[in-house]
Amino acid sequence: MYWEDVEIGTRRALGSYTFTEEEIVRFARKYDPQPFHIDRQAAERSHFGGIIASGWHTAAIWMKLAIADRSRPGNSSPLLRAGVSPGYEDLRWLKPVRPGMTLTYSSQVVGKTELKSRRDVAIVLTRNEAHDADGALVFVFTGKGLVQRRPG
Amino acid sequence: MPLLYFEDFTIGRSFDCGTSPVTRDEVMEFAREFDPQPHHLDEEAAKRSILGGLAASGWHTCAMTMRMFAGGVLSLADAQGGIGSPEGRWMKPVRPGDVLSMQAEVIAARPAHSKPFGFVTFACKVSSQKEQVALILMTPIMGRRP
Repeated sequence: MYWEDVEIGTRRALGSYTFTEEEIVRFARKYDPQPFHIDRQAAERSHFGGIIASGWHTAAIWMKLAIADRSRPGNSSPLLRAGVSPGYEDLRWLKPVRPGMTLTYSSQVVGKTELKSRRDVAIVLTRNEAHDADGALVFVFTGKGLVQRRPG
Repeated sequence: MPLLYFEDFTIGRSFDCGTSPVTRDEVMEFAREFDPQPHHLDEEAAKRSILGGLAASGWHTCAMTMRMFAGGVLSLADAQGGIGSPEGRWMKPVRPGDVLSMQAEVIAARPAHSKPFGFVTFACKVSSQKEQVALILMTPIMGRRP
């Protein structure tokens, strides 16, 4: 499947992920060592009332599930041919992610743009979301993926 | 006591956020757990890819940016979490062996309506020894001066 074949509106369920306190603390110690991510007592005193995940951990799990989805048999996702991205827009952390919470992630194609600089690849825009068990939106961003164009 | 409050983050104020060395082990460890694509894990496959060699996951670059941001800004401030990252640009591949450095400049600040905090947006310019490699905007919540 090439960029030309990508249909705007196509949506994929990427699966669910349960965050453990051990993983939340391990990620944050390395990359986001703020007290409410790594220290249970300090987190309880904070306005969050307990440990919460680094927002970048929530984002990294999106990537993990998206890669797992691309390698599922029968998936003809255009992003199979992508893998490299120039960036993202409007990434928002709307609710805290706490230990034991399960988030369900999805990705929907919302736009396609050509590049002035090259003909072999073009951009697919996706709206990526994570919802909690009650269906509330917790995390969202617009992703940009480079996808191969049909040769010729 | 926190040193810096919402009021201290005036537009144009810039913070030097130190450095972060990029090791091959860490690039591969992050990629194995979160972004297992050949161009982050396999030297030969990476050479054949559009990146032309092994490169860190963009999300790893964001995480390293966060580490520098936490050290250079948030740990000096009454920081109460983040609401998002309005934009991220992965401009150049981040390679094992690079030493990243980061400047965080205040580009927007708005107080929350009738709340004791405000939202400050920083443009985090991430550079290697050679060139700028990423631009990551960050919007933390900062407590107002009591």
